[in-house]
Amino acid sequence: MSGLKYAEILKANRELGSKLKGSVFQIAVLSNIVVNQLGDILEYELRQQGINAKLVFGDYNNIVQDSARFKNSNAVILFWETASLVEGLQSKAETIDAPQLSSLVERTQNEIELVLKNLQNVPLVLFNSFSSLLFSFDELKDGKFSQLAKKLNNILNDRAVPNQLTVDIDKIIAKTGISAAVDFRLFQSSKALYAIEFLKEYAATVQPAFCAITGRGKKVLVLDCDNTLWGGVLGEDGENGIQMGENSKNGKIFQEAQHILRGFQKRGILLALCSKNNAEDVNQVFLKHPDRVLLNEDLVAKRVNWQDKVTNLRELASELNLGLESFVFVDDSDFEIGLIEKELPQVKCIKVPTVLSSYPEVLRSVGRDFFSFTQTKEDASKTKMYQEEQVRKSDAAKFSSTEDYLKSLGLKINIQWNKAIPIPRVAQLTQKTNQFNLTTRRYTEGEIQGMIDNHSCALASFSVADKYGDYGITGLIIAKLRDQEASIDTFLMSCRVIGRNIEQVFFDHFMKKLISRGVKTVNGEYLPTPKNTQVADFYSSRGFVAKKNLYQISTKDYKFSGIDYIEVLESESNDD
Amino acid sequence: MMTDLNERIKNVMGAVFEMDPKMITDAATPGDVEKWDSLRHMNLVLALEDEFKVRFPDEVTENLISLKLIELSLKELLP
Repeated sequence: MSGLKYAEILKANRELGSKLKGSVFQIAVLSNIVVNQLGDILEYELRQQGINAKLVFGDYNNIVQDSARFKNSNAVILFWETASLVEGLQSKAETIDAPQLSSLVERTQNEIELVLKNLQNVPLVLFNSFSSLLFSFDELKDGKFSQLAKKLNNILNDRAVPNQLTVDIDKIIAKTGISAAVDFRLFQSSKALYAIEFLKEYAATVQPAFCAITGRGKKVLVLDCDNTLWGGVLGEDGENGIQMGENSKNGKIFQEAQHILRGFQKRGILLALCSKNNAEDVNQVFLKHPDRVLLNEDLVAKRVNWQDKVTNLRELASELNLGLESFVFVDDSDFEIGLIEKELPQVKCIKVPTVLSSYPEVLRSVGRDFFSFTQTKEDASKTKMYQEEQVRKSDAAKFSSTEDYLKSLGLKINIQWNKAIPIPRVAQLTQKTNQFNLTTRRYTEGEIQGMIDNHSCALASFSVADKYGDYGITGLIIAKLRDQEASIDTFLMSCRVIGRNIEQVFFDHFMKKLISRGVKTVNGEYLPTPKNTQVADFYSSRGFVAKKNLYQISTKDYKFSGIDYIEVLESESNDD
Repeated sequence: MMTDLNERIKNVMGAVFEMDPKMITDAATPGDVEKWDSLRHMNLVLALEDEFKVRFPDEVTENLISLKLIELSLKELLP
């Protein structure tokens, strides 16, 4: 967190709150303790990220009923304190007889299940794990209170719903320090267990989940080279002089850093270089240096040259077709960090610490900003897909017209209808796609499932492949059907496949499907955001007529694109 | 130092009670500050503790009901 004091947060949060525009992101806090101070602290943390957060609090110790009352919130946080399941349980647990204790577990289990069912359509639910840490000195052998917390956590862990996260509260308490995390004085007088220090740490810890659910997650980690990926300066110390191996103190640290970064890449984080060096020298290091861990193929893009890093970062953003606000920049130089912070404030900057032994820890903590709800097949091969894209781009330059180039690609799309749709991946697409997205509606897996089960909805996703490789599932359309009318609720496509006329061919097929179902009128909707201007004209260019925010077309007037160089395959589900 | 402490307390009170610190008099009490209710009092105590990195003893927290009393209590705790 920013290091502000509580009074400063109160003031800064009010100022920021009055400036933020856009729809309010309501977060309901349900609890059996008092945590009202989290309100300003978490709001401020999220508002700094551009999320217009507003916290509302349920009634004290009324979690079950409140879960029904707040089921339309954008997010819900549960502070369900083990010690307050029964007044004074932290001490009474040892004296309550076994049947009473197990009936308490059973009752709580039923309540947990009921609450989570009530909250199943909330896009993000943060459920704090049950903890005994603040009250136990039973490190050598669990006492009854700790056993109880463990039992309840097992119940939580048995569920596997991606948008309902269990927050490991013990780790947050540990990071704060137990005595700084708790305020027994307030716990006795006003049921407020946690101290301000803890709440600040809590807000910083959960922030990435809110960024991910609102499409603000980080995607690219841009790395300097000298004294960032290895010790020393390549241009001066030479290939044999730089340190990233086992045989020097600093070398070990940089080697660990490279291992951490390689792990990030496997998780779907894109790694790019931005270094003032001779490109070929750096290339050789990743190609054949005996101590290297990172390889050229782990790097999605490189700017190794002598131009300023602001220009380089801008170029990387345009090459990868990603916004700079999804970038994190790591460098050891105060000058470079200062420059980027000043010129590109949307980029998060991380300086390699002067106390080098803490560098691996700093890098691990950066990984938190890249939080993603689900790991999909597409994440693991993301770097490869971006690299294939660069080969495509350089080949594209050889053709005289775009059309000729597209024809040469051997594009294929495979459309999945309704039950054939891969739910985790399309939910992830709704959460991450900002540019080619007509309505920017974010959906959870549960909501997608609900629409698939609902026969008045038509859904289709598609994957794309060409002669260079496979892009995976990259687009989604959702329409709501009513009599002879279809209203398109969502139409989005990953930025990776923009510029190939795929959207036209896919949309043609979708229209054909609607017509075969007897649909006479199709309504489209465009909800402008700062990022989706490129699709502002989508419906009008397809012949739809604008009526206020809505666009409408009679299916008999729809003109098909006639594009014939994209092959279309379809996976139907049986009931379709 | 004296005025500095006084000013810092006023800034904290201003942040908690949503008012201009200059409008807070040395004699301000819950009776004449509109937003000084029991929840905000808790916020005030926590904000003061965070500001000065101290923790008030149990019996002191409810007695922090004027600028003067806050100043006196803090002086006892501060090095």
